Amino acid sequence: MTFQKKLVGGLVLAPLMLALAACSGGDDSSEGGGESSEQKITIFQSKVEISDQLAALAEEYTEETGVEVEVLGTTGDDYFQQLQIRLNSEQGPSIFSLQNVTEAERLESYVYDLSSEEYIEHIAPDMELALGEKIVGVPYGVEGFGMIYNKDLVSPEDVADYESFVSTLEEFNAEGINGFSLAQDAYFLIGHISNYPFSVQEDPYGFVEQMNAGEVTAAETPEFQEFADFMVAIKENTPTPLSMTYDQQIGDFAAGQTAMIHQGNWASGILSEFEYDFEIGMLPFPLMGNDKLAVGVGNNWAINSQKDEAEVQAANDFLNWMSTSETGHRYIVEEFGFVPALTNIDAGELDPLSQAVLDATNDGETIPWAQSVYPANIVPNDLTPFAQAFFSEDMTAEEFLQGFDEAWQGAQ
Amino acid sequence: MKNKNKKKWYILFTVPLLIIFTTVVIIPFLIGIYYSFFEWDGIAANAKEFVGFDNFVELAGDERFRESAWLTILFTVLSVITINAIGLAFALLVTSKIKSANAARTMLFMPYLIGGLILGYIWQFVFLDVFTLLGEVTGLDQIFFNWLVDPEFALFGLVFVFTWQMAGYIMIIYIAGLQGIPNDVIEASKIDGASPWQRFMRITLPLLMPALTISLFLTLSSAFKIYDVNLSLTGGGPANATELFAMNIYNEIFGSGNYGLGQAKAIVFFLIVAAITLTQVYITKKREVEM
Amino acid sequence: MSRTLDFLKAALLIVLALFFLSPIYIIIVNSFKDRQELYDNPLTLPDSFSFQYYVEAMDKMNFLSAFGNSLYITIVSVVLIVILSSMTAWMLVRTDDKLSMVIFMVFIATMLIPFQTLMMPLMQFMSTLTNTLNIPMYNTLEGLIFMNIGFHSSLSVFLYHGFIKSIPITLEEAATIDGASKFGVFWRIIFPMLKPITATVMILNVISIWNDFLLPSLTLIDTDLRTIPLSTFYFFGEFTIQWNLAMAGLTLTIIPVVIFYALAQKHIIKGIGEGAVK
Repeated sequence: MTFQKKLVGGLVLAPLMLALAACSGGDDSSEGGGESSEQKITIFQSKVEISDQLAALAEEYTEETGVEVEVLGTTGDDYFQQLQIRLNSEQGPSIFSLQNVTEAERLESYVYDLSSEEYIEHIAPDMELALGEKIVGVPYGVEGFGMIYNKDLVSPEDVADYESFVSTLEEFNAEGINGFSLAQDAYFLIGHISNYPFSVQEDPYGFVEQMNAGEVTAAETPEFQEFADFMVAIKENTPTPLSMTYDQQIGDFAAGQTAMIHQGNWASGILSEFEYDFEIGMLPFPLMGNDKLAVGVGNNWAINSQKDEAEVQAANDFLNWMSTSETGHRYIVEEFGFVPALTNIDAGELDPLSQAVLDATNDGETIPWAQSVYPANIVPNDLTPFAQAFFSEDMTAEEFLQGFDEAWQGAQ
Repeated sequence: MKNKNKKKWYILFTVPLLIIFTTVVIIPFLIGIYYSFFEWDGIAANAKEFVGFDNFVELAGDERFRESAWLTILFTVLSVITINAIGLAFALLVTSKIKSANAARTMLFMPYLIGGLILGYIWQFVFLDVFTLLGEVTGLDQIFFNWLVDPEFALFGLVFVFTWQMAGYIMIIYIAGLQGIPNDVIEASKIDGASPWQRFMRITLPLLMPALTISLFLTLSSAFKIYDVNLSLTGGGPANATELFAMNIYNEIFGSGNYGLGQAKAIVFFLIVAAITLTQVYITKKREVEM
Repeated sequence: MSRTLDFLKAALLIVLALFFLSPIYIIIVNSFKDRQELYDNPLTLPDSFSFQYYVEAMDKMNFLSAFGNSLYITIVSVVLIVILSSMTAWMLVRTDDKLSMVIFMVFIATMLIPFQTLMMPLMQFMSTLTNTLNIPMYNTLEGLIFMNIGFHSSLSVFLYHGFIKSIPITLEEAATIDGASKFGVFWRIIFPMLKPITATVMILNVISIWNDFLLPSLTLIDTDLRTIPLSTFYFFGEFTIQWNLAMAGLTLTIIPVVIFYALAQKHIIKGIGEGAVK
């Protein structure tokens, strides 16, 4: 009887014992890296392409300073969800990445105010991530998008305004060449290109706010009306982008089957994996005669303010080192392949697309990314289904404008 | 005395698992229900506002949610039928005494091992290139074209790929069921001169009822919950024509940042589905006992 | 006559299986191609079968360490799942009362909950456990095993439940009269008879635990704790995937499971003969 009692108790406790085993296991590992050594920081960021290089940078930092840096992994798409879950369960990283103001606003209670740090002085004008007066993010680098073109097939005056753009597309269409290609992913389909009618406004961010408030509509704004005409012309004269993967888009371009693609300087990495023998360049999208590239910041480093003082300090030290040391600069330019957004970095040799972005930035010939202040997730959640409908159904320019307004209001 | 003993053994055998199960599944589920009464964006440090049943009222008027619920039901019904029909056919084939059965069993099961993004890539490619090519070669371009970009066909594309993935999985359950059927019963019927079709309908199928119950429920639950294939193949497009239920919730919770509303959706749908399937299980279970 | 029919059936089966496998062919041939070659034609055989992408993938994934972690997690989880859920299912079948019915219904009802709706509260609750009771659910392989058991027990109990019902109760009653304890009856008489379904339960759980990405990615932080699927994240870029590495990685991931399945299915077949005895 008592034996049985013990047995019952024992089996009931089995899961707890398992947990205890886990407990002792956990202690072992934390003794290894915990109090005995220096401060440890963790980095969680969404740009998977630089994970390897970032880990190498972290290693160099550890060698120099003795501070351990752990770089966490994620597969691109689910980054923000994972970050949210980690922060909520008090397992947040010390340093994380944020794409724009909208994300920063959501995480306002977690972003550390960098305003008093010295290294933010080096951030190029207007490129910092700010919440009101507070500076909360250091840019990875600047990125720009426009029409990447094959210099053998297109010359800039062919696509300088709406009329020339359309007639060029018609000519290519007659020759069996894809004149202008978008791709099926949310940002490549509608996200990036939808910037233009906002960005060519005098006050692009203000205009987004007015759209949100319902004070203006796309239907009655001339920039949007011409944008709708552009979209209809693209739809009529090119194959559907809904079947076009990013890989296919770049491949077709490299093979000379596509004359222009709407992409950014980030595409030079994948483009270099293809063989092609023509020169490439980047042109502004000529909405209302626009002659400027759309340049902005795709990602920013931010520090988790909910960590204890020592960890926040350690995270600051790391960002400071990355922004000011020679090793940090070398990694940003050579290893990460960014167009630097810090004035104390010399860009050195760049690929033609990044060079175009840098030149435009230095000459001040840029328009901003309105998408940085779009309502959260409007691109994948509302604009993309709308654009898919536009490309798979019969839709006139008027219906496009109406649908755009509906999608925008649906996101509120 | 004897009863007391019985209770002790009952506790001994079930409680360890129940503790783990409660910790990992039940409690988080209850926390989720709790959140469905709040207006909250899912960030711990941000304000939670108690709104009572507002979220439930709101979702009743959410057209995109209703559309997605309808699509999910359509998708589930179609998948359950195709997967079980094909899975059972496979199981019958590979348990018959033919030489290649062993190798085939492994091969048919392989698709289940491929998940996530790569699966989506391969099938996008098959629909885009192979289907279009088939359409050109056979002239049947009404049937063979890229289903995934057509709002009316994309859902069938999803059913097609999901069937490809799950048929081998369900085949395993049917194999286990077929093995439970005593050989002598089959032999006896052969001697009685029953045709293969009669044998299948009168003997194999009724004896396969437990396996059928399990398989129906498994396909039902995995079709209702489908997310991976949905995401990687169509991403809910074109124009939301394949935004199934799990994706709709996921977008609500993490995309739009409406945590409470997303949880409310999850609960409503869970209740509907649970009511249907539990009734199904309850009825078939009773039947099995009678047999 | 019956011979030709058998031959036809066999041939049909192989054709069917090949059709089923064609996407796997695409994975394998493309694990040998660079992006240009992949773009040129994803269907053809590669120009050369050099294993450079496999070597690179293994190197980036830190394959041996990841393999060890995956193996440990999968084996311990599956063994515990088999033990705990078979015991539970047997008790639930053999105790014909309301409580058992309710417990069983709760188990299967939870199979209808999408994981995506559970993950946030789950992580919050696990964090509470870690912080208040000092049970390290986070960043330990054992914590992950604990959660694996919870998530996979429903399906396993469900499968065992269905199978145990078909075992005649007379066998165990005879043993009970002989004075064997419930424990003895279960392990000596019942469990051996469950072999075919145990093999099935093991196969299904091995696959889903071995391939799982979401749960490990939420719970494991240290680089040296990464499982195989976790360590393939390097290949999935922000905009595009490094297909050759990703497909080489996927091939490396599924080979062990395919071998396991090929071995385990023999036990299911053996079960036929044994099951027929009853």
